[in-house]
Amino acid sequence: MKRDEFLKKSVWGSALAMLSVPFGRKMLSKSEKSQPVADQRGVEMVCSPTNTHMVGNGFKVMNFYPNGKGFEERMSPFFLLDFNAEVDFPASDIAHGVGVHPHRGIETITFAYKGAVEHHDSKGNHGIIHAGDVQWMTAGGGVLHKEYHEQTFNRSGGAFEMLQLWINLPKAHKFTPAKYQSIKHTDKPKVDLSNDQGTVYVIAGEYEGMNGIASAFSPIHMYDMHLNSGADFSFRLPSGFNSGILVIDGEIKVNGSKAPENHYVQLKNEAGKIQIQAEKKSKLMVLSGEPLNEPYVSYGPFVMNTEQEIKDAIRDYNEGKFGF
Amino acid sequence: MKNLTFSTFLTSNLSITPSDLDPVLSKAKSLEVRKDAFLLQEGEKCKYSFYVEKGLLRQYMLDAKGKEHIISFGPEGWIISDRESVFFNQPSKFFIQALEDCTIKLIDDSLVRLISEKVPSFVDFNTRLLHNHIRALQNRIIQLMSFTAEERYLEFIALYPDIMLRVPQTMVASYLGIAPESLSRVRKDLANKNFNKKHTSYLT
Repeated sequence: MKRDEFLKKSVWGSALAMLSVPFGRKMLSKSEKSQPVADQRGVEMVCSPTNTHMVGNGFKVMNFYPNGKGFEERMSPFFLLDFNAEVDFPASDIAHGVGVHPHRGIETITFAYKGAVEHHDSKGNHGIIHAGDVQWMTAGGGVLHKEYHEQTFNRSGGAFEMLQLWINLPKAHKFTPAKYQSIKHTDKPKVDLSNDQGTVYVIAGEYEGMNGIASAFSPIHMYDMHLNSGADFSFRLPSGFNSGILVIDGEIKVNGSKAPENHYVQLKNEAGKIQIQAEKKSKLMVLSGEPLNEPYVSYGPFVMNTEQEIKDAIRDYNEGKFGF
Repeated sequence: MKNLTFSTFLTSNLSITPSDLDPVLSKAKSLEVRKDAFLLQEGEKCKYSFYVEKGLLRQYMLDAKGKEHIISFGPEGWIISDRESVFFNQPSKFFIQALEDCTIKLIDDSLVRLISEKVPSFVDFNTRLLHNHIRALQNRIIQLMSFTAEERYLEFIALYPDIMLRVPQTMVASYLGIAPESLSRVRKDLANKNFNKKHTSYLT
């Protein structure tokens, strides 16, 4: 018997679970029952904040999706939504963050609301995401990186609020070369709402004729909304796009359904106005995207189309292809 | 998703149906442990073998200088135990720790006897598991004595394909008996050897 065969056969039990989903479950609250109103897009559900878990020792996140309840497809192409609601990190000399790990097949988008995150990858890229900034990383064929609280912030501690989103790449672009779009808050295109109701920063797609700054690989809209208390306005998103709204800060009503801080509103896929009423000064993340309608297989940091591609990704990572 | 419950592990290896086995296994204790929790600490007597249904364990010892030496990782479908402690009723030299939140089935002598009574073929299967374990340990000794760092690493990723994704590289280096810097060098050499310009073109 050859040595490698010999070793493989000595494995106890069966092989590893290729598809374990290492994410927590969440509680869903049904949205307030209300009669459909003509020309209003329906609210499918309002999700309560979920239990938090630590990602590394630096991110205390609630995971809205994926969650093993079909959300991976429900919000396609958006695959993962981890939200670190505001939390105070104590001053520390121990680095807070997530150590070196790979990604393939997705884009990871990091929004800093409070605090700052520092990033390094194995190709020597380095950046700091300050409050208000967005880092749009296309992992594509492969990236090996680490994410930590920015050094000065880490030492001083303070309020930390962060969101990380994964967008699944279409099959045709799974292996696109890795790249970064570093978006400063001051560079975000914006639409000021009338009567000082607030501002819609257009990250991707388009809002009221204003184009977003980031480029994506499938049709999406992504808005960073900063609303003043009393704002009351409406907009539309394509009926077939999977769409949802996360309340980062404040409290809103979406077409009459109440959504307090850190709640997530899933909209129905139908035509109609989306009316937002801000009960307080609020910050929202609005996501909307055309479903990919492609098979996917995910394992940890990889989202691919087939199980073989996941095995390839694990092998490539083990053999140093992503870096070392 | 692959089902790696203890029940599936047994029914896929023995000629018994889940419905016949489940009444027996209902006597088996399960344990949910959080990341970082210890199932065994040095000096304690190990009472069980731990079958991992979900999560990841590591078994390690501390040397006189306080350095950790990992003897095994236990991902889903593996059994981790200190057989010296269990069988010979000795205080253990080892720590068994959860590296992720885990679901564990506890296997003790009474459960082994119970399954053996209901499913006679389990006796042979259990012996086979023991010999598999001895074979794996022999292999590990030979590797540590005679393999290069790269050969050890290649055997490691064949045996445990996804552990590099689940634990820090320092733990893998500890398992391999090499310095973390050596592991990094091995991975760099492999990348240079395995991936020529053409293949890495999509990695900017």
